[in-house]
Amino acid sequence: MKGSLALIAVLLVAAGLISIYFWMNLSASVSYADLRIVLTDTTAVFGTMLGIITAGLMFTQGKFSELSSELTEKASDYLSRVLTIENMQSIETHMLTLRKTFTKLAASTTVAEEIGLYERIDVKVSSIFVDFVVLLNLKLKQQGLPISQLFVSEMDSRLYRVYEKRLKGVKKEWQIFTLIKRITDTWEAHTASFIENTSIALPLETDLKSSIAILKIKEKVDKTLVDPRNDVFKAFSDLNSGIGEISVQLRDDGIPQLLSQMRQASVLRGKYFYLALIFIVAPLLSNLLILPQLSPTTAAFFQPTIAVTSVLSVLGIIFLLLYIHKILNV
Amino acid sequence: MRKSVEKCLKALFAEHSAPPLEIIIPILEKTGQGEQELTTQIYDTYSTVAKEIMKILGLKEKNMKTVAKIWEIVNSFEKQPFEPIELTESKFSFTVPDCPMVHVGKNISPKVRSKFCDLICAGGSKALMDTVLGSGKGICRWDKAMLLGAERCTLVFESVKE
Repeated sequence: MKGSLALIAVLLVAAGLISIYFWMNLSASVSYADLRIVLTDTTAVFGTMLGIITAGLMFTQGKFSELSSELTEKASDYLSRVLTIENMQSIETHMLTLRKTFTKLAASTTVAEEIGLYERIDVKVSSIFVDFVVLLNLKLKQQGLPISQLFVSEMDSRLYRVYEKRLKGVKKEWQIFTLIKRITDTWEAHTASFIENTSIALPLETDLKSSIAILKIKEKVDKTLVDPRNDVFKAFSDLNSGIGEISVQLRDDGIPQLLSQMRQASVLRGKYFYLALIFIVAPLLSNLLILPQLSPTTAAFFQPTIAVTSVLSVLGIIFLLLYIHKILNV
Repeated sequence: MRKSVEKCLKALFAEHSAPPLEIIIPILEKTGQGEQELTTQIYDTYSTVAKEIMKILGLKEKNMKTVAKIWEIVNSFEKQPFEPIELTESKFSFTVPDCPMVHVGKNISPKVRSKFCDLICAGGSKALMDTVLGSGKGICRWDKAMLLGAERCTLVFESVKE
């Protein structure tokens, strides 16, 4: 999104600056014959570019549909085989335990760094909790069972709003993978290599381990922390295997790569295409309107506009190259 | 590195980790208790990690080369870069451009940082050398230069002459 906006901004600023430059420097009139050649050539260039863009759009749409059906097929398999009701209910129960434990722990300490850790855990636990409630209810719906209100009733109003938003966000079956991927990304670090030095936010798994290590030290002087530490440890171990299994399955099936391709195809299909229309269709129409009107008497009048569309044709070619580059990467 | 070895090491570091210093130090400073427990936990963590790394990689030799190898792996996983200076039969020295103690909250006094630096370096290095070289067969020195504003700290592992 940021990339597209930056691209639009750069292209618009460049177009603006070059247009002003041409406007100011085109006082010396160019011959009618030259203008006609420029106008015909740029029109041909725009026409060709529009053809390529349209072909690209059809290709992207095809790729998007292909990926979408592949993911949809896998989604129903995940809902029936990987995400069992028992597994999800067990994970949700642990998430509730963690939420309650860390809310209490955060309230009982005054050290800012410690509060920060517990609150961070609560935020991540809540996010996973909501995602699993959505998945659980989609699963129940798939099986023709009534939606469970058990976990929904544990949400406060803020969390309920998030739940509703995420539930509404799943319009197509394959979109459950966006939820599952968010769950696994929140739970564990997605490091391609352990040497990779990134400053990504710490995963919940790491934060829980940190909290266990802290509670282990604190419980030596405060025995009331033994039970919370045991609860957290139990939840951590079960979640590690529960979410860990889902994560392994997800990676083995190459779902993150498929989702990333879907995202790229979607961007190309949407933003890039409309951007292409602005830089190609708009000047093309302008040229097509000017062409029949161009005569030795009107040449001077149309000269600045022709200069601007000529500049836009150069920018259009740059944009087209970027578009093709993106398509080749889908 | 073979994939299965990397997997085993990943699992090892996932299972054993020391508490985050930027959180535990302010807690211990406030309560005034638990320093001994922190040292014990660091010692236990790193001796287990060192023992398991030796097992996973099949490192049999009890010498400074093994200490250096384990140090390299631990630092890779903990994303703590270091630059070796010297590695001989009896000595392994290196510099570190980053120290977790530097990232501990601004409110912690230099005196407290210095105390915990000693506790942690002593606990971690002792665990490593006791495990690889044998109990009491090595010493470690650290200059705490980064706590005094320098860009790097120097650490030296040395075997004790019998």
